[in-house]
Amino acid sequence: MSRVRRALQSDHVTGWAFAFPAVFLILLFGIVPIAWSAVLSFQKTNLLAPPVWVGLRNYEALTRDPLFLDSVIHTLVFTAFYVPFSVAGGLLVAIALNRKIRGIRFYRTAVIVPLVASTIATSIMFLWLFDPHFGLVNWLFEQVGLGPFGFFESADLALPSIVAVAVWGSIGFNVIIYMAALQGIPNELLEAAEIDGAGRWSIFRKIVLPLLGPATLFLVVWSTINALQLFDQVYFLTRGGPGTSTFVVVYYLFDLAFHKGLAGYGAAIAYALFVVILVLTIVQLWVGKKTVYYAS
Amino acid sequence: MTNLHPDPAREPAQIELPAERRFPFSPWHPVLLPIALVMLIPMIWMVVTSFETISEARRFPPVLVPSSIQWQNYLDVLQDAPFIRWFINSTIVTTASVASNLLFCSLAGYAFARIPFFGRDAVFVLILVTLMVPFQVVMIPVFLIVKQAGLIDTLGGLILPNLAGAFGVFLLRQFFRSLPVELEEAAMIDGASRIGVLFKIVLPLSGPVLATLGVITFMWTWNDFLWPLITIYSSDNMTLQLGLTTFQGRHQASTNLLMAANMMTVLPTLILFFLAQRYFIRGIATTGLKG
Amino acid sequence: MARVAFDHVTKVFAADSVAVDDLSLEVDDGEFMILVGPSGCGKTTALRMIAGLEKATAGRIRIGDAVVNQVPPRDRDIAMVFQNYALYPHMTVYDNLAFGLRERKTPKAEVQRRVREVSEMLSLAELLKRRPAQLSGGQRQRVAMGRALVREPKVFLLDEPLSNLDAKLRVQMRAELKRLHGQLGITTIYVTHDQVEAMTLGDRIAVMSAGRLQQLGAPQDVYDHPVNLFVAGFIGSPPMNLVRGRADGGRVVAGTFEMQRPGTPDGEVVVGVRPEAFVLGREDLPVIEVVIEVVEPLGDEIIVHGTAEGSAARSGAEEDDLPPIASGSRAPITARFDPTARFQPGQRLRLGVEPDRVHVFDARSGLALAAPAAG
Repeated sequence: MSRVRRALQSDHVTGWAFAFPAVFLILLFGIVPIAWSAVLSFQKTNLLAPPVWVGLRNYEALTRDPLFLDSVIHTLVFTAFYVPFSVAGGLLVAIALNRKIRGIRFYRTAVIVPLVASTIATSIMFLWLFDPHFGLVNWLFEQVGLGPFGFFESADLALPSIVAVAVWGSIGFNVIIYMAALQGIPNELLEAAEIDGAGRWSIFRKIVLPLLGPATLFLVVWSTINALQLFDQVYFLTRGGPGTSTFVVVYYLFDLAFHKGLAGYGAAIAYALFVVILVLTIVQLWVGKKTVYYAS
Repeated sequence: MTNLHPDPAREPAQIELPAERRFPFSPWHPVLLPIALVMLIPMIWMVVTSFETISEARRFPPVLVPSSIQWQNYLDVLQDAPFIRWFINSTIVTTASVASNLLFCSLAGYAFARIPFFGRDAVFVLILVTLMVPFQVVMIPVFLIVKQAGLIDTLGGLILPNLAGAFGVFLLRQFFRSLPVELEEAAMIDGASRIGVLFKIVLPLSGPVLATLGVITFMWTWNDFLWPLITIYSSDNMTLQLGLTTFQGRHQASTNLLMAANMMTVLPTLILFFLAQRYFIRGIATTGLKG
Repeated sequence: MARVAFDHVTKVFAADSVAVDDLSLEVDDGEFMILVGPSGCGKTTALRMIAGLEKATAGRIRIGDAVVNQVPPRDRDIAMVFQNYALYPHMTVYDNLAFGLRERKTPKAEVQRRVREVSEMLSLAELLKRRPAQLSGGQRQRVAMGRALVREPKVFLLDEPLSNLDAKLRVQMRAELKRLHGQLGITTIYVTHDQVEAMTLGDRIAVMSAGRLQQLGAPQDVYDHPVNLFVAGFIGSPPMNLVRGRADGGRVVAGTFEMQRPGTPDGEVVVGVRPEAFVLGREDLPVIEVVIEVVEPLGDEIIVHGTAEGSAARSGAEEDDLPPIASGSRAPITARFDPTARFQPGQRLRLGVEPDRVHVFDARSGLALAAPAAG
């Protein structure tokens, strides 16, 4: 066999031939942009004309920009509510669903179906449900003597309303993860604990919860990352309003880069967000390592 | 010593009524039913509203059961907006993305799983890194790349960055590694080439994971909003999600039409979900395991 | 310490599968009772009903003098060792052992004392700070036992605790268990499919099949006087030889084997002889002619496999899926001899048996007929 033929059949060539399309695409649209974004953050550009180098000015501006700080606070508030509701809620629902009664498949499907709808579709549904004048929800509240509420049109309620929309749309994901984790707990462990004398609450707190640790850690990290990236619902439902009450970081970023021609500044914000996400994730994983038991 | 002489021909014991009372239904239903309702009512309400007349929809207290079913609403949506166009666009983009992901991620996933090649592990780490970076960080440069390629405001521009994703490569690599390598070795001894092994041995065994990747990619691409938002500005090139927002802008008062449009947008994913529930759920569960 | 009793207990699972069928059985205070039988015979279900992990469909379960059908597991003062040990993976060995005591609000000093005592007894003292994942199979098994013993229960339940250990460890642990029982004297109910374990460990054994109790008695008694074909075939390794035959006017014939057993009702029978009951060179005894096929020298004995004229009978305790009638016209015969004998494949042997070591069973019902006077 000729040398060239042998070389062409070698694993190195074959491997690269197989991997090349995906690798090229992922690197081109993944790694290269990461570096490029960093470069952009040191520039001023409107994405049409050639960019101008401005050094650290974008980052300096960040620290003094009241709108940015505002958006950070809103993002953090959103995250602080979204994560606990979404994760704890997912756990409670998963526990309720983890039994063999008639119709359980219907209940499980009902909980998971909202996952399938896009953020826009979900937002449309809730825009209508939460309509202050004609919405079903205000009518239901009226039946029990509450409301009416302004929801997306109220500066106080807009952000909590978005929390509700986001939790509704994604809780199914957490339920699926928790259900899988719950089913991974061998029944014998629970039986042994029962025989040992532990009550239902004790079993939950000392056996089930610790063994759900890995799932909980994953969901907290995952939910936090998603919460910090909130955009679609804000864009569709409130455009950051009323006033700036739902102004979040990614929305600001988008607005700067694609509406105000300040893409360099936007890139700086994106990087700042990235760093925050990274730091938070590392902190969470570190805390997790200390407290979570992992099956070997 | 006690000896028993059981008679195999004896009739089995008569079953007495159990000592404990049995509830006719589990006490969990009153807990689960409200939860299910909360999760389903938004969609149900959307469907109900989509069949109402405009005056019924804009009534307070809300009309719970419409007096008639206005199929007309759906037709109105199709006429008032380039809905069919948007639908076709979404279909094209999503199909292309699913197909190319399945192809390219299979090839790459197999290479990373089974073929030792120079730089393999380092490149794989790089690929994993991209999984950790949020889209917002890369979206501006990706936009610029697509702009350079002259694909802004085209379907090609929508498809291009989504041809192959790190998630698919990771998922398939993990799966391929879990298959017994002896099957592939036997095939290679029998004379198959790498490509042959992949397409004749490995992929046929990978049905479930490919289905999972397909379903997940479909849902994600169909529902994607941010990327189409920044790439497309002509109505004719919009995907459904983007089109919906402009529809809402123009038809704010016609809630019934908006709900009809929304319904038509959600329907494909709903159908896919009911057909492929297993794979959808499996895909999510695997994501959790990897975490 | 307590007695345990099953009083006509039946357990039916959904879809009418009867797991335990009218079981009546009494375990004496301090006794080591073994429930033995093939998988699916109901022994584990019966054990779980004592624990309270399954509810009886009918009948009563007593611990001590109390009927405990409605009492939850935690209040029955029982402890259980599971087949897969069910150790709490996220807790240290110490915490695993202490868990039950702590849940019952035992004072800390007492907890420490008992845990220390048990861990010394089971050689776990150095492992207290480790997690189950860091232990070997044998160590985990001891922790599982320790967790049960530390609570000083009235009844000690074990569900195939040795089946996940390798052979050597199993032999060791059998002796360990016997010693512990002798030392502590707790009423113990032990489930296994391994009849060797049953024979060596039990004060009494209860042989079960298809949810029904087949025979209850001391191991040697059950061995010497099986009441039916199933027990005869299940207990004893290598299993009892079973050949189909006929009884006619007190004369029993199976293939070339013939003997007198007056009083045997006429009809189809199954003749059973244990492998160690055969003797050579005794023409005064009833004889069966065997052609040797395989010789297995085991060092302390020799096992000879051959065939004889006649057709084999099945006891129902076989692990295989072969049809009821053996193919071919000869019955397989297994015999045991001490290692001084010499055999060759193809050799013809005339094996004699003392008549009172021959078991005769009714072919239709499987019941033992006119059981021999002595073993």
